[in-house]
Amino acid sequence: MRHDLADRYSHLDSPVHRLDPRIKIIAALAGILIIVSEPRYGEPIPFLFYSSVVIIVAAFSKVPPVYILKRLLIVSPFILMAAFFYPLSVYLSKSEFFLENRQIIISAGLTILFKSFLSVIILIILGSTEKLHRLLHALRKLKMPSLITTISALLYRYVFLIADEALKTSRARESRTPGHIRTGRIKAMGNQVAVIFLRSWERSQFIYKSMLSRGFKGEFPDMEISRLGLTDIVFSGLFIILLLLIRIFL
Amino acid sequence: MAAGIKIEKLSFSYTPGKEVLKSVSLDILPGEKFGIVGPSGSGKSTLLLHLNGILTGEGKIRIGEIPVAKSTLSEIRRLVGLVFQNPDDQLFNPTVEEDVAFGPLNFGMAPEEVKDRVRETLESLKLNGFEKLTPHQLSQGERQRVALATVLSIRPGIIAFDEPFSSLDPSMVIQLMEIISSLDSTLVITSQLVLPVIALCDRMAILKNGRIIACGPPKQLARDTQLMKSSGLDLSFYRDMCRELWK
Repeated sequence: MRHDLADRYSHLDSPVHRLDPRIKIIAALAGILIIVSEPRYGEPIPFLFYSSVVIIVAAFSKVPPVYILKRLLIVSPFILMAAFFYPLSVYLSKSEFFLENRQIIISAGLTILFKSFLSVIILIILGSTEKLHRLLHALRKLKMPSLITTISALLYRYVFLIADEALKTSRARESRTPGHIRTGRIKAMGNQVAVIFLRSWERSQFIYKSMLSRGFKGEFPDMEISRLGLTDIVFSGLFIILLLLIRIFL
Repeated sequence: MAAGIKIEKLSFSYTPGKEVLKSVSLDILPGEKFGIVGPSGSGKSTLLLHLNGILTGEGKIRIGEIPVAKSTLSEIRRLVGLVFQNPDDQLFNPTVEEDVAFGPLNFGMAPEEVKDRVRETLESLKLNGFEKLTPHQLSQGERQRVALATVLSIRPGIIAFDEPFSSLDPSMVIQLMEIISSLDSTLVITSQLVLPVIALCDRMAILKNGRIIACGPPKQLARDTQLMKSSGLDLSFYRDMCRELWK
């Protein structure tokens, strides 16, 4: 099975990939903050410019657009729900107010939609252009508590372990069950879930012992040497300044 | 540098009243190749986990001059490398390179030096070019060698192997035996398969129900049919089979 759930394109070589992970995290967070704090509702021009900047960065990153769109699709239901429920909640609670200010409220819903999509695209680019463990390491250097980064790193590793166990037990179950769905089969699937968790737990114990035996002290080490360079600052600075200019002057 | 192991009256139980190890005492010399054989459930893996302080029971263990204790764990783990039975339990990093580098980085080696160490270790096990592969892309034999590489990269004085031959085909068993016999460290090998241990080790102990019931030269112990039978390690089937095949 593939073991690159979140960082499939992290091996590519692009100006965005070459940036120091710390500066990438800072730039991404700053970018999201600027876009989210955009005060204008229903004005398409600023969002057109924000989108252009984000698309230019995406193009520089060489991450396939189809991949970004697919990732975006995963979170789309949540974003659409938020964008749709805002006007709906106003309509349900104050229907007269809604009818009087329909244009503004619908625009506000659309603004939520754009802000969320752009923020998610920035996060997808960040996650796709850096290996997850390097991002976690960078977060650690940016003073994120080690408990959070270590739990995230272990979670990411154990997801594959659970998936591996699920695959093995599925094969064992399928090999002894007929193709059509019956009540017995559903029961067998229920049992399988229990077994997956027990086996995953057991294997995670072995893995943890193996980590301890090789000197693991609670933090994953990083082999890459990152040094903050002028290019990192210029590229990230340009990204933030462009968004700020749109935010202030457009 | 190879170090010796001294175990004195080690007892351990996972659940109260059910001892897995019962007053085990062993003296393994520096540079010795020592085998521990016994049927499954006899306590072999549990004993190995005590060697670098992952489990702690009653009794004393010394690695060279250092006692295994909470305060010495970092030193002990640098000295004793464990190769687990299932390589999948040992390989948890996205690439072979990162897995082999995991130990040296944890022990504070500089990243520049670690890169060289990883390359040297992989070369010594004929695994050049495997650096960027994920462990799941490898065959069972290759994974076993990478699992060994993850320990060798730390350059431990003692390497403990837990059932290294259990899931390998005959040619892989021979290949791994050649690799193991070429190592300079003190080796502790636990196995249900007695023949590779006889071929590899200077001395062998038989563990049964958590107790050492015999210890001595492997060939001498293996010839004692009564002892082997009572330990659940009877080799007469293989002897008769070989006679039948080559008579």
